[in-house]
Amino acid sequence: MRRVVVTGLGAVSPFGTGVKTFWAGIAAGTCAIRPIKLIESEGFRCQIGAEVPDGVGGSHRRSRADRLALAAAREALDDAGLSHDDRLETALIVGAVGGGMLEAETWHWRRRDRAARGHASIGALRSILPSSHAETLGCRLHLGGPRETLVTACSSGAASLAVAAELIADGSVDVALAGGADALTRICFMGFNALKLLDPRPCRPFDRDRKGMSIGEGAAFLVLEEATRARARGARGYAELAGAGMTTDAFHVTAPHPDGDGMARAMRTALAGGRVAPADVGYVNAHGTATLQNDRIEAAALRAVFGEGRVLVSSTKSMIGHTMAAAGSLEALATVLALTHGVVPPTAQHEHTDPDVPFDCVPRVAREASMSHAISNSFGFGGQNVTLLFRAGA
Amino acid sequence: MEAKEVLDELKAILVSRLKFDPRRVAELTMETPLPKGVDGAIGLDSLDFIELSIAVEERFLVPIDESEDLVPHFASLDTLCRFIAERAPSA
Amino acid sequence: MRAPHRVVITGVGAVTAVVSGGADAVARAIAALIPTDAERVDRALAQLVDHGEARRLSRVSQLTLAAARIAIDDAGLEANGALGIVLGTELGDLRSTIGFADGFLSRGPAGLSPLLFPNTVMNTMAAATAIALGARDLSLTLNAPTVAGEQAVIRAAAAVAAGRAAALLAGGVDELDPAVGAVLEEAGGRFAARGEGSALIVLEALGAARARGARILGEILGTASASLPASPYGVGRRASSLVIRRALAEADVRLAALRAIYAGENGDARRDAWESRVLENAAPGTPTGPPLARQFGQTSALGPLKVVAAAREAPALVHGLARGGSEVALVVGAAPVE
Repeated sequence: MRRVVVTGLGAVSPFGTGVKTFWAGIAAGTCAIRPIKLIESEGFRCQIGAEVPDGVGGSHRRSRADRLALAAAREALDDAGLSHDDRLETALIVGAVGGGMLEAETWHWRRRDRAARGHASIGALRSILPSSHAETLGCRLHLGGPRETLVTACSSGAASLAVAAELIADGSVDVALAGGADALTRICFMGFNALKLLDPRPCRPFDRDRKGMSIGEGAAFLVLEEATRARARGARGYAELAGAGMTTDAFHVTAPHPDGDGMARAMRTALAGGRVAPADVGYVNAHGTATLQNDRIEAAALRAVFGEGRVLVSSTKSMIGHTMAAAGSLEALATVLALTHGVVPPTAQHEHTDPDVPFDCVPRVAREASMSHAISNSFGFGGQNVTLLFRAGA
Repeated sequence: MEAKEVLDELKAILVSRLKFDPRRVAELTMETPLPKGVDGAIGLDSLDFIELSIAVEERFLVPIDESEDLVPHFASLDTLCRFIAERAPSA
Repeated sequence: MRAPHRVVITGVGAVTAVVSGGADAVARAIAALIPTDAERVDRALAQLVDHGEARRLSRVSQLTLAAARIAIDDAGLEANGALGIVLGTELGDLRSTIGFADGFLSRGPAGLSPLLFPNTVMNTMAAATAIALGARDLSLTLNAPTVAGEQAVIRAAAAVAAGRAAALLAGGVDELDPAVGAVLEEAGGRFAARGEGSALIVLEALGAARARGARILGEILGTASASLPASPYGVGRRASSLVIRRALAEADVRLAALRAIYAGENGDARRDAWESRVLENAAPGTPTGPPLARQFGQTSALGPLKVVAAAREAPALVHGLARGGSEVALVVGAAPVE
């Protein structure tokens, strides 16, 4: 059986560029959710979000999302030490949702209202689609393997890792660069505001008094590699991607199935793939958006799979917000780092655990915990559930 | 606003924002249940209700507080008309 | 590396301006070179999607659901939990995205439509179809220029081969919308003549298909994909590629045995020329089948339609090459003999 290991990491997050910066931020329990500056927010109930600070770099002819993706992808490829020849065979699987929508919006807004701020040329429309990140990365980084963009709403970043792992396990490729990217967009910000799903204050996952999500932006990419080949070339293995589960609720376009059945199935499938019992899992990096519904239903699914109180649970979204297509991959990254450091990042802003959540949510302060396995959950709109299982030591 | 006007505006909202067929809407009575799952209802789900509440806020200037239990007010056109009559700013 | 299950095609559903129907109707339409009929799609939607559903489904989602219903019926399957969907699209539901944004631009926050918002994410068509069918197996949406439909078939075939899914709808959808078209033209012109439509094929493991007595239309013998060097959405220069050779190797089919190649000729002259050079190098002398993109217009529905055409001329190859360099190949065989 072909095993899949993680040999490279790259990220751009609301803390700044780089994996080290990301880990420093989440390990310290720092909340990066602040008043939004990138887009207009007046007139909306929620006016905060987790933006990537200035200094992403890259040509301004590229969309913001492409620049985030490129920076994270470059870091991952360099970290893995892949040669030019390796890259010619490397698959590229990208999770994307907004694509270059931010720049397309700026162009469209100015067309309708001369006084709208910002400037974007018609060329901005060329990168509007989610597939534009894969086009940019594939071409700029000379990646010659299969190139695919997956769109599964909020679980896109995780789905990209699951599919990349399948490609390797199936024997189609030996190496893949996989992850997700998303920049803040007006449509996302306005849409979640209109659905009344945003908390005017930084989100409080699993908290009794939670009032909704916070949005965010960023990018994270992982290099996945067939284990024997990675060892043979002396690559550093961060962790093994030991299992993945992808399920569908087929219930409602925005609401999760009230029983959490699809979520539980995703988790069980991931565990089965890695031949791991629930008791072997030390940590769950939850989807944890802090909406009333998600957290309650996810907790019920966790209880069904693990039993009450049998695993540490925390939500990285408490610190970086919901980074949409990047969420699944930034949070997979957090899970891998938790395993390698033996430290579970906390749930920020957590004061009173909701009685419906019978788990230690690692409130506000990171916890040392030596673990053999950890999972990361991502549950997207439309009931697109993905769970990734990571095993320590590669 | 007159009760008949409120009803007509609500029916217009069902057509323009909730995309119901105008003929279907014309058939609705004050007692027709709105929510999905109720016998004979026009069949609105949670997303429909959010759309409807935004439209009601905009058209009738009725402030809607999300923390309030709105289910009884949105049960039928009759309950909705009363809700609007009670909460709309006086002419 | 050999995968455990052989993957066969057991049904087809298409809703396009050329033809609306299952495997037989599609085959007749391709053979007879039936032209487009602008109203065919709307008539099919009126038949296949009822009013109550249509209220909550954007047009491109209705296209997907309609094709799915035809495909399931064509395969003799029931819509249930043991079914999934892998869908490719190039443009998704841009119409809803523009509508959502314009609601705000016209009337501020009160003009935002919560009902439209979920449609601004491209998985809306697959999600809506899965919900309508109660299909709880794998659900994936792929976005790519030109070859999204082929990619979806490849991804679905891999899942069935590896036993990750029992029965999958695989294919693509794109709609033609005047507002979207106008914006695209302004952005950089339309290279290919676009069409609209949805096409889905049903993929199952051979054993399962035989066990339930399904009619088998063909087999996915081998697939491969890679990326040729090019600038984003540009046309590259390299014409030597290993993709076709790899697909043939996985299929265990010799190049000389191929009866036809269904390629992507769609009127984008520079792209067409590039693909011709690649095919000349990889498969000199193999005849190309009729250019379905000319008949149907460029949409993500072309991938599965090419697979259906190839199955009738098996063994045949489906080839795709997108601007930016994404290349795909599928070797399609005839229905396996008992």
